[in-house]
Amino acid sequence: MSNEHQPTPAGDAGTAIVAASMVIFGTLAITDTYEYFDFDSAVFPRTIAAALVLLALVILLQWVAQRTGVSTGAETGEPVESGGSWPRRIALVAAMLGAALAMPWIGFQVTALIAFAVLLVVAMHDPWTPARLIVYPAVGLAIVMGFYFLFAKLLMVPLPVGRWFA
Amino acid sequence: MSGLEAFLAALTPLNLLLAVIGVIAGTVIGAIPGLTATMAVAVLVPFTFGMPPAPALILMGAIYTGAIYGGAYSAILLNTPGTPSAIATTLDGYPMARRGDGDLAMTLACLASVAGGLVGALALLTLAPPLSQVALAFGPVEYFWLAIFGLSLISALSEGSLLKGLAGGAFGLLISCIGVAEVSADVRLTFGSQTLIGGINVVAALIGLFCIPVLIDLVATPGRHLHVAAEPRGFRLAEAVSVLMRKKVNLLRSSVIGTIVGILPGAGGSVAGIVAYSEARRSARPGEHYGKGDPGGVIASESSNNATVGGGFIPTLVLGIPGTPPDAVILGALLVQGLRTGPSLFTEKATIVYTFIWGLIIATVLMLPIGLLLGRYAYKSIITLPKALLVPSVAFMTIIGTFAIRNSTSDVVIMIILGVIGWILGRFGFAAAPIVLGIILGPIAEQGFVQAWTIGSAQQDLVGMFFGRPISMAIIAFTVFSLASPLLMRRWRLKPEIAHVE
Amino acid sequence: MAPRRRFTLGLAGIVTAAMAAAAVAYPTKSVDYIIPFGPGGESDITARLQQPFFKTMFGQDLVVSYKPGGGGAVGWAELNNLPGDGHTIMGVNLPHIVLQPAQKKVGYTTEDLTTVYWFHFTPDAIVVKDDSPYKTLKDLIEYAKANPGKVTLSGSGKGTANHLAQVRFDKMAGIKTTYVSFAGTGPSNTALLGGQTTAAWGYTTSAAALGEKARILAVAMDKRHPKYPDVPTFKELGFDLVSGAYRGIAVPKSTPEDTRKKLSEMIGKINADPQFQKRMLDGGFAMLDIPYEKNAEFMKARSAEFIEAAKEGGILN
Repeated sequence: MSNEHQPTPAGDAGTAIVAASMVIFGTLAITDTYEYFDFDSAVFPRTIAAALVLLALVILLQWVAQRTGVSTGAETGEPVESGGSWPRRIALVAAMLGAALAMPWIGFQVTALIAFAVLLVVAMHDPWTPARLIVYPAVGLAIVMGFYFLFAKLLMVPLPVGRWFA
Repeated sequence: MSGLEAFLAALTPLNLLLAVIGVIAGTVIGAIPGLTATMAVAVLVPFTFGMPPAPALILMGAIYTGAIYGGAYSAILLNTPGTPSAIATTLDGYPMARRGDGDLAMTLACLASVAGGLVGALALLTLAPPLSQVALAFGPVEYFWLAIFGLSLISALSEGSLLKGLAGGAFGLLISCIGVAEVSADVRLTFGSQTLIGGINVVAALIGLFCIPVLIDLVATPGRHLHVAAEPRGFRLAEAVSVLMRKKVNLLRSSVIGTIVGILPGAGGSVAGIVAYSEARRSARPGEHYGKGDPGGVIASESSNNATVGGGFIPTLVLGIPGTPPDAVILGALLVQGLRTGPSLFTEKATIVYTFIWGLIIATVLMLPIGLLLGRYAYKSIITLPKALLVPSVAFMTIIGTFAIRNSTSDVVIMIILGVIGWILGRFGFAAAPIVLGIILGPIAEQGFVQAWTIGSAQQDLVGMFFGRPISMAIIAFTVFSLASPLLMRRWRLKPEIAHVE
Repeated sequence: MAPRRRFTLGLAGIVTAAMAAAAVAYPTKSVDYIIPFGPGGESDITARLQQPFFKTMFGQDLVVSYKPGGGGAVGWAELNNLPGDGHTIMGVNLPHIVLQPAQKKVGYTTEDLTTVYWFHFTPDAIVVKDDSPYKTLKDLIEYAKANPGKVTLSGSGKGTANHLAQVRFDKMAGIKTTYVSFAGTGPSNTALLGGQTTAAWGYTTSAAALGEKARILAVAMDKRHPKYPDVPTFKELGFDLVSGAYRGIAVPKSTPEDTRKKLSEMIGKINADPQFQKRMLDGGFAMLDIPYEKNAEFMKARSAEFIEAAKEGGILN
């Protein structure tokens, strides 16, 4: 959705935090380039990191100028997509990360089914009717198994079997 | 042998069947984020051992062209390029789908892909030996400037804040440096992490930066994923054709750009899409709002990336130098078949070569009905699937797809983390597209620069190396022109462009 | 390292003795052959050449998969975590597995890798365009002597076999040339054909891919390559340079001794097939047979050689 976001005015604190993080990342990158064997591999990242630090500093300065400046009037636009459920967002990311980390241990199929079930609940905004209770998990099972078959059997991707079961 | 005879040789029932199977399989594989055209072809290689060379080549060509086209599906419907070639398709395809024109975008993508594919294949059929020289004319310094030209698109993409766009681009360029350096074998920017030694895979980064933000916002609200018109409007084929006719210059230009970029061994479908898109955007007429769901964006990206298929085969078959990564795999398969590429291939093995080229053309034409039907089906599934099922399905697809890139769960973790970073940055006006441009073009820019610098220093003529070569000078001129043209256009026009209001 | 090594060997001996009673039934299912590079490279191509022979000779599929990243390091770092029943094998490359761990922390050491068989090598070679003014190696050396640093040689990357060859050859011939590092043999060849560089430090394989568009000035082999009977070796011309990139197969450490030996025999059998040899030689590869029993000795010799060249080349401290 990011292409669609209207750029928020530089006035918000989030921009400042992002810019500050970029300054830190850029600085770390510059120090890193001094440890390379070969100068050839340092030129490019060092130049780019310097540019990043510079650009981020200008963004920071703009932000400071706007905060302390006389008028902030039009520059305090509302954050994008302010609505929506935060618990669901966090649960989504947590479930996906959890699945990625659990996969090598409990195997692909088990992880996928659990993650799918969790995300099904997380993404459910409508009331659970008996029909949905039956159909949704069934469709989910079919999708997971279908993809498993496609990847493991047809494309021969060595999906993790799980160290605990192997 | 290039004419009717070879055409008929390609038209055997077996070849036709293989072309159909290849296009269908390729489209499906390409539509799944994480599965690239290279992988699609690689999976196929063992099956081709038992086949004669011509059908084997046709099957691989069909799956390749299908996969490049299939990348548009998830680009339009999920804002996630199914293959890196479809990056530029997201820029206008997804906004179109959001506002309810997903059906039109899917049909346009199909038409544009077929048209682009045909231009590329016809170039391969008629002009292969002379065009292969293009691959050789491009030296390191030309690649460097080509990457800079691609990066100049950032200025057009960041209408809100140029600074943020540039910072995003620099961030992407730095990300591309992580891992073992291609130019010198130094380990860079891993900060001691074993996981990062392999670098950040481009496809994983694409999935994370484009798809995860969509998912995060999708799960948060009960609203529909895409806006859907009250009554179904079928393929909207007539409408799509009329759009295409209006934008025929764009279509032709993008197809030619795609063919030429495909010939360049150091660039592929993703670069072709970026260059064609940025040219389409530069020459936009009043009333065309690129980046806001203009059909021209889909046309430019999709026609150019499919044109790289035919274009890429030119150096592969003539010089033995793969034009694109899937071509490298096909080249390997040819070697196993005992077929040697090179200029002699076109004379000694003319039957095989021309049968293959005609097979590719037939497969591209077959992509029209197959693509329209598959596209319709994909669009319908996405709009009818309830959100509670859509979110886990897409999430699951990103995980399995990312894993499959190099069979690594670390890539999946990196993908998700990058996605969260992308979502946060997106909230504060740092769009994903400039970051992705940086990641894609970074290696091309860096290698080109270091190599040009090394050679230029050895010849004691750095200025001449960087600014004195004709092709470089042309690319530099184009870059300056595309950076300056928005400013000039704004002055010229009486009515100022209303770009920010939606 | 030595004591630990002996211990592992001892342990393996006990296991072997215990298992000797039951003859190894291997392979019992398809064998997963992991290439730690992307598809389309030379490692992939050789694996693809082996694939059909494996199937016909041993009745099981050889399934090629890829785990690219870090110039192979990502795959090798993971090798010992994979199941050690012989049904998972991985391609290994020299000088990569010697130089990478020597240069930096990459998650594995050379000793960690259990190499089973080295089956071929791609000899280093100096390649020029067909219309190049340099007809012989002597021409090139003379020009390089007259213009120090001006001769540019494209190559497939710093720290690869052809880079080390460049370093060593410069020293032997008393010349100074400029090595231009490209991302693999493909781009390096393109630069050569496009006239971006004077010549290329490539391999016989890369010259084979270019056909009549390129000429080889000399190859770093003991004897001339069968495909290029007219191309002299460096040795003939007075330079003691025999080197190249070597490819082999490794297994996870947990793979039993018997299975390792069986696998070594199997790869040897493929290598001995005349049809396979013909395809390899046509592709410009040079055959090599280092079975499991001779691996330790072979690795020791190569390691010393590569480390020394890398130190001279300034890519190792």
